[in-house]
Amino acid sequence: MKESVTILFPVCLPIVAGLLLLLVRQPKKRSVIIWCSAAVWTVTALCVMGLVCGEETSFTLFFLTGRLPVYFRIDGIGKIFASVITIVWVLAGFYSFVYMKEETCEKRFFGYYLIVLGVLLALDFSGNLITFYAFYEMLTLLSMPLVLHERSREAVMAGLKYMFYSFCGAYMVLFGVYFVYRYANTLSFTAKGVLDPALLSGNEGLLLTAAFFMVLGFSVKAGMFPFHGWLPVAHPVAPAPASAVLSGIIVKAGVLGIVRVVYFIFGADFLRGTWVQTAMLTLSLTTVFMGSMLAYIEKGLKKRLAYSTVSQVSYILFGLFLLDPAGLTGSLLHVVFHAFIKCGLFLCAGAFIFKTGKHTVGELTGIGKEMPVTVWCYTLCSLALIGIPPASGFISKWYLCVGAFHAKLAAFSWLGPVVLLVSALLTAGYLLPVTIRGFLPGADYDYGSLVKKEPVKMMLAPLVILAALAFVLGVVPEALIRNFSAVAAQMM
Amino acid sequence: MNPVMMLAAVLLPIIGGALVMALPFKKRLHMEIYLEVLVLATSILVWAILAEGPGERFPIVKFVHNLSLSLKLDGCGMVFAGLVSALWPLAMLFSFEYMKKEEHEKVFFMFYTMTYGVTLGISFAEDMLTMYFFYELLTLVTVPLVLHTLTREAILASRKYLYYSLGGAAFAFISLVFLLVYGSSLDFSYGGVLVTEMTAGKENTLLVVYVMAFLGFGVKAAVCPFNAWLPQAGVAPTPVTALLHAVAVVKAGAFAIIRLTYYSFGTDFLAGSWAQKAVMGIVIFTIVYGCSRAVKETHIKRRLAYSTISNLSYVLFGVTIMTPLGLAGAFTHLVFHAVMKICSFFCAGAIMHQTDKHYVHELNGLGKEMPAVFGTFTVSSLALMGVPGLCGFISKWNLANAAVMSGNAMAYVGIGALLVSALLTAIYMLSIVVRAFFPPTEFDEAGTKEYRDPNWLMLTPLFVFAAAMLFFGLYSAPIVQFFTDISNGVM
Repeated sequence: MKESVTILFPVCLPIVAGLLLLLVRQPKKRSVIIWCSAAVWTVTALCVMGLVCGEETSFTLFFLTGRLPVYFRIDGIGKIFASVITIVWVLAGFYSFVYMKEETCEKRFFGYYLIVLGVLLALDFSGNLITFYAFYEMLTLLSMPLVLHERSREAVMAGLKYMFYSFCGAYMVLFGVYFVYRYANTLSFTAKGVLDPALLSGNEGLLLTAAFFMVLGFSVKAGMFPFHGWLPVAHPVAPAPASAVLSGIIVKAGVLGIVRVVYFIFGADFLRGTWVQTAMLTLSLTTVFMGSMLAYIEKGLKKRLAYSTVSQVSYILFGLFLLDPAGLTGSLLHVVFHAFIKCGLFLCAGAFIFKTGKHTVGELTGIGKEMPVTVWCYTLCSLALIGIPPASGFISKWYLCVGAFHAKLAAFSWLGPVVLLVSALLTAGYLLPVTIRGFLPGADYDYGSLVKKEPVKMMLAPLVILAALAFVLGVVPEALIRNFSAVAAQMM
Repeated sequence: MNPVMMLAAVLLPIIGGALVMALPFKKRLHMEIYLEVLVLATSILVWAILAEGPGERFPIVKFVHNLSLSLKLDGCGMVFAGLVSALWPLAMLFSFEYMKKEEHEKVFFMFYTMTYGVTLGISFAEDMLTMYFFYELLTLVTVPLVLHTLTREAILASRKYLYYSLGGAAFAFISLVFLLVYGSSLDFSYGGVLVTEMTAGKENTLLVVYVMAFLGFGVKAAVCPFNAWLPQAGVAPTPVTALLHAVAVVKAGAFAIIRLTYYSFGTDFLAGSWAQKAVMGIVIFTIVYGCSRAVKETHIKRRLAYSTISNLSYVLFGVTIMTPLGLAGAFTHLVFHAVMKICSFFCAGAIMHQTDKHYVHELNGLGKEMPAVFGTFTVSSLALMGVPGLCGFISKWNLANAAVMSGNAMAYVGIGALLVSALLTAIYMLSIVVRAFFPPTEFDEAGTKEYRDPNWLMLTPLFVFAAAMLFFGLYSAPIVQFFTDISNGVM
């Protein structure tokens, strides 16, 4: 593995640029802000591409105290997350150029948008638990301004709720970290875990409790029951591009945390067959069902999508807790697909709001006549999320179910796939009405007052790209599957 | 050389402070220069003493064969003396600006300076009796500071403060008598002074005495249920609240408990006993209690005072783990919390001084007009929460690590309490930050336009403290090593 400081470049560049944007009083001109941001995230994206294609790299920055280095490393998992984040970030960024025109304080939005990108990349490249934890807390603090951007009383309360839930999770993680530090040789992420067998013997119960708290802590950000309460409140109040990245990307920080804890700190073998696994599988399946159900009865489109995130991210968590290579591959695939799909859906919802000011599903009757391209994008994403072949969601769910059968977990082997299927039906039930009512508004729809309201190209292009990705990745998934299976195999 | 210098360091601020009343200053500036030079000279003297390291015993007064007032520098005292000597000159700078708005400032500065000497006396005290002497003295010289505004509220607060402190010291005094009987001497020596042959069969009595003394000294450290005086004493001018009621006075209580536990009774005697469980239970409760009250409180200074109550119990939690690592954690938090809390209090003081706003809900939108003050306040909030990269994380790490290493199940509960308290800290500190920087849209910006950041006298200490928090957060290895050496009895 080579030591290289280049790893810090894509982390520092957006953070520094974002800070400058926030702190420097000039420029006030919109175009300058926009093009600077665009330049920064393009350069960042190129750097990330270079690093992702290159070999494994690591870098130790300095020591916090004693045995605690701030250490960065790029490995398989980090590469997957980093590439998805950059793609989604850039696309949603271009979309927000148009969308944010009608909002206040654009400078603040783009400032934090850049900083959060840097922090997320740092999170992906973190090489040990302490570095990860540090950036995890920073992520909470710095993404909070995106949530409360509109500064209505509702938004501010949602921002606070988001923050306090996240900190609650972070401290649960920290509780576990203290114990891991005692019983592990190192806190660096190592495939198959870092626990010292000699120290471990006799203290398994304690360590399992620590693992439980750490996973539960990270699951707060991933919106798993019982800590999902903040998600449907915080995601919809943010401006659409921010909701898109919050729902598509930032919740994945929690997923990454769980991957790191389960596979790189404790090791799959340590947790397999324990009460922690059972508890987590139960919680994740509960969330899958509950999220879909709540989405189904929700009227507001953005809030419905937020509940959908609650449910879908728990698909990923279910796959992770199977502790099986196929399940893990399914999870990783779903991380990627869900990021594109959910980002696409939120951006569509944003486009509806931006052009028509309509927030609830009921109001959207006939929207397909007004904005056909947008609604087509929405439909493609929906089909992918439901998991209708050949769209992408089908592939990831397939692997999740295969994983569930392989894992030999008695009840969960059949219960898991059943819940996933029921939830898929519900997904169809809560997503497709927009398409159906949109294109088929019924006889009493007033065609006379129909006005074409398609958004401008800058806004439409990201939607089309995301919808295409959501669909095409399902048609030609071989490369991804091969790559992800290899990564998954290394982790067990 | 060393022993005489210690006495000089104690006496210099006491005498120099008393002279403030007598000296005829033509201008306020002259008094400011005199005081700052006096305090700085004392601090430099202290640093010279510390640089020389632990030294000889220096008896000042000898009463009978084993009762004397004497000074001696050891590792534990070095930490406390080093801490206050670093903070006092900066706090002095801050108070010059702050006190402009208050009356009879000469009296204030007299007692404020004298307190410095008394605090040094506590840290240099060589035995229990000397420490007890300076401890009582500390109560007496700080009462006028609480009383300062002479409002009815202040009088009540100072009376309460006086009764609580004197009552606590009386309980502590009992332990002094028992130590005299069952110990080899009253001197502080690492590992304790109890003589095993004499304590045999009397263990329970001694443990009761220990718990009583713990609570007695715990009054100053605001251990629940003896914490009521601290939030009320917040009526004092902010420099007093910041330096005395977040650092010097309350930490004198924690320091006395460290002396009592590690240097008088000894952890060998206490560890594993019911007394350890009792005191640890009390501090764990206080940790959570203080934070919960802070969340409920809307007066800024009182909110910070409740936060202090909780954080002091962090220190005491480290002490009650009763291992060298626990003591190291206690020292780390003793020092780091001082920096964090004095900084947040000074921010609160600066806000009150500039805007006359005392309540949290009045702070909407002030962040834009006073970026420096609220910026440093944010840093101190994050540090108090224990965000990695700032010093609060390191001290919590050391405390929790000590708790895990001790293998004591109750200490595990304590870690949980630390983290619950961290969450509550996030709630009561960040709600202020969010209010200041992200006011709701209906907020009227015109109302805050007139407010400005204060001048350099107030800002310098804030920036120094913020820098210190960042520095210790990123680079703490040497200082933590120093604390570890002390707590292993090396120094």
